[in-house]
Amino acid sequence: MKSEKVVERTEINYKEQLERDVLAAMAKPNRWYWVALGFSATCFLIGLISWGYQIKIGMGTAGLNNPVGWGVYITDFVFWVGIAHSGTLISAVLFLFRAKFRSSFNRTAEAMTVIAVMTAGLFPLIHLGRVWFFYWLFPYPNQRLLWVNFRSPLIWDVFAVSTYLTVSAVFFYVGMIPDLAIVRRLTTGIRKKIYGILSLGWQGSLSEWMHYNRLYLFLAAFATPLVISVHSVVSWDFAMSVIPGWHTTIFAPYFVAGAIFSGTAMVVTLVIPMRKIFSLEKYITLDHFESLAKLLLLTSLIVTYSYIVELGIAFYSGNVFETAIFKYRMMGDYKILYWIMISCNSLIPLLVFFRKVRRSLPSLLIISLLANVGMWFERFILIVTSLAKDFDPYAWGLYKPSIIEAGITLGSFGMFFTFFLIFTKVLPVLSMTELKEEHE
Amino acid sequence: MQKLRMNSTGLAVIFLVVGTAIVILEVLVAGAQNASLLLTLVFWVALAEGCIALVAAAELSHAQWILPIKRALLSVYPIILFISILFLFLGFKLDIYPWAAKQNAWLNKPFFLIRNFILLLLAFLFAWKFAVESGKESEKKNRYAVLYILFFVFSQSLVAFDWVMTLEYPWFSTLFGGFFFVESFYSGIALAGILCVWLLKQSTEDSDKLEKTLKDTATLMFGFALFWVGLFFAQYLVIWYGNIPEETSFLVTRLSDPVLGKLSPLVLIALFVAPFTLLLPQRSKSRSGLVQAMSMLIIAGIFLERLIFLIPVVSLNPFLVILEFLGLALLFAAVIANRHWLIRQS
Repeated sequence: MKSEKVVERTEINYKEQLERDVLAAMAKPNRWYWVALGFSATCFLIGLISWGYQIKIGMGTAGLNNPVGWGVYITDFVFWVGIAHSGTLISAVLFLFRAKFRSSFNRTAEAMTVIAVMTAGLFPLIHLGRVWFFYWLFPYPNQRLLWVNFRSPLIWDVFAVSTYLTVSAVFFYVGMIPDLAIVRRLTTGIRKKIYGILSLGWQGSLSEWMHYNRLYLFLAAFATPLVISVHSVVSWDFAMSVIPGWHTTIFAPYFVAGAIFSGTAMVVTLVIPMRKIFSLEKYITLDHFESLAKLLLLTSLIVTYSYIVELGIAFYSGNVFETAIFKYRMMGDYKILYWIMISCNSLIPLLVFFRKVRRSLPSLLIISLLANVGMWFERFILIVTSLAKDFDPYAWGLYKPSIIEAGITLGSFGMFFTFFLIFTKVLPVLSMTELKEEHE
Repeated sequence: MQKLRMNSTGLAVIFLVVGTAIVILEVLVAGAQNASLLLTLVFWVALAEGCIALVAAAELSHAQWILPIKRALLSVYPIILFISILFLFLGFKLDIYPWAAKQNAWLNKPFFLIRNFILLLLAFLFAWKFAVESGKESEKKNRYAVLYILFFVFSQSLVAFDWVMTLEYPWFSTLFGGFFFVESFYSGIALAGILCVWLLKQSTEDSDKLEKTLKDTATLMFGFALFWVGLFFAQYLVIWYGNIPEETSFLVTRLSDPVLGKLSPLVLIALFVAPFTLLLPQRSKSRSGLVQAMSMLIIAGIFLERLIFLIPVVSLNPFLVILEFLGLALLFAAVIANRHWLIRQS
């Protein structure tokens, strides 16, 4: 009888402690938070100023030229859509697979997804030039009764990314409702009112939980094919063309794996400092990181497999254009970036095979940062080299990003981290209800 | 199945008899231009390697649901060795490949045989070690699982790129390898579905656990139906949209044929439409009859697909195809019936 009481007391202690710790993360920020926010916001501002300058002066301020009409902006777009992937992967796919380690990361990953898709969504607009005409992309006839070209993969992208954003945002919000109700209970004043509205009057009754669980499962099942589809569509922006190095059937699964790789790396990059700053060591353990590191390794291996297959088949086919583009990537003007890409995406992640490495947070942080560098370069290499040297040597040309493109890229990172920092202060960073459930 | 329970000598005799029969029929009766052996190998290697890959992936992700059918799935590892040896006899038939007339550094007869044989053998060795360690639940099992999966992927990719794709050299599709190993995994899940139902009929002890495993297997099957069609679509769309003659030739040859054109949609129905729609309702995943039917349909679909890959480019002998199918099916049944001593549990 006595031991039962002790167990009960420990349970209550864990739950109270968890709520306290998560609420503490949402409390008044310290100086370091303001420094981080200030830095991110400055970068964001630099991005906005650069974009403003580009709008005022024109697209000539970007380094884009003929033949390289797609450069850093499209690289950034693909990079951020990729980052957006693992949010839904960790949340939805791992939920369906009943992988319990997800509950320590899912909230962060979902927030990251929503913010990354928002960031990604800006790039087609930035790339558009006359951004005020962006609504022409909507599928309804304009004044001259012209429809968008449904056979263009670029318009598929508009559908894919906006669907993904909608579903990810709904999934993020629905998953948070019970936690918002906890925050409502533990706060006072205006905050209580705001969280009261946000939690939609959640009372935690049996009937509410039944409906909630069904909805969550449904959304997870609905979001899973979307994870695959959205980056497949992004890959088809390239694969539907006949440009050497782009037109290849493996692109869709390869892009999805690459996206999950970079997204998982970003989760590791964000969660390691967050765990330290908000003292969440008790809830995000080394075992959790180890599982995430294994996911990183798996996706890195798939990406490496794709590199090998692409290269191997190019030489197998004997097609001169395919062979030439892969030789150019390895030994041409952008070779340094290519080998950085291979090192960061294929070679360095192999260290995760060692248990010591995958259980060491500093090493994981370095590997994940390098993975993101590698994935950015991968997209750059893929986009720029194929355009720089396609079929006709007369039309070849090189591309060098301009300072404005660099500013806008910096701004996208600034935007991402600014929004993420705001998220950590206004919404619960851990899924309290799930962690409680797991603890039981 | 009970009649097939025997000791190691008995099992070895069955393997020897089936093997010798296939070799005699293929080498002496069928002749060098007949590719029935290739069809047999391409289909059964997927099923055998897929079963072990499914268990390896489940072990690596600490999945518990696989446990009731683990032994039965692992016991198919000797088939991989059988297929590796049988593959060597394909050496007599390499003239079916167009590159045989003009060989190069990659596509030449000795290298083709050596690289594929070594990969199959390594896949077998790691499958064997993994099966033994997994049965014993030793700590080494994860290491072998990782090694097996690596060689499974390489071996299946070469089955696609080397055995099948080079039949139409220089046609190529970079996804072909990935498509094959995912399909192999899918066939492993389908066999797991059949085994669940069979074991449910056999024993009453673990029926609760087996029912749960059945449901999980059906759920995974449902997921893979969607995944498979995703890959199929990714491959088809790029070729169709690109509309380059040297790429579309593969599809045009099959779809414009009066018989194959009508058979091809059946593959899509067997591997996607039927499992997806029928396994969609939650309750259907627990209905053993339905799951068994879907599993058989998926395996039949994969066989049909590989048949469609080969028919337009090589000559097949229906009599041999059926006999070899029955022989390999018998071997599968024999190893599964003898799983108790093939996979010793700790």
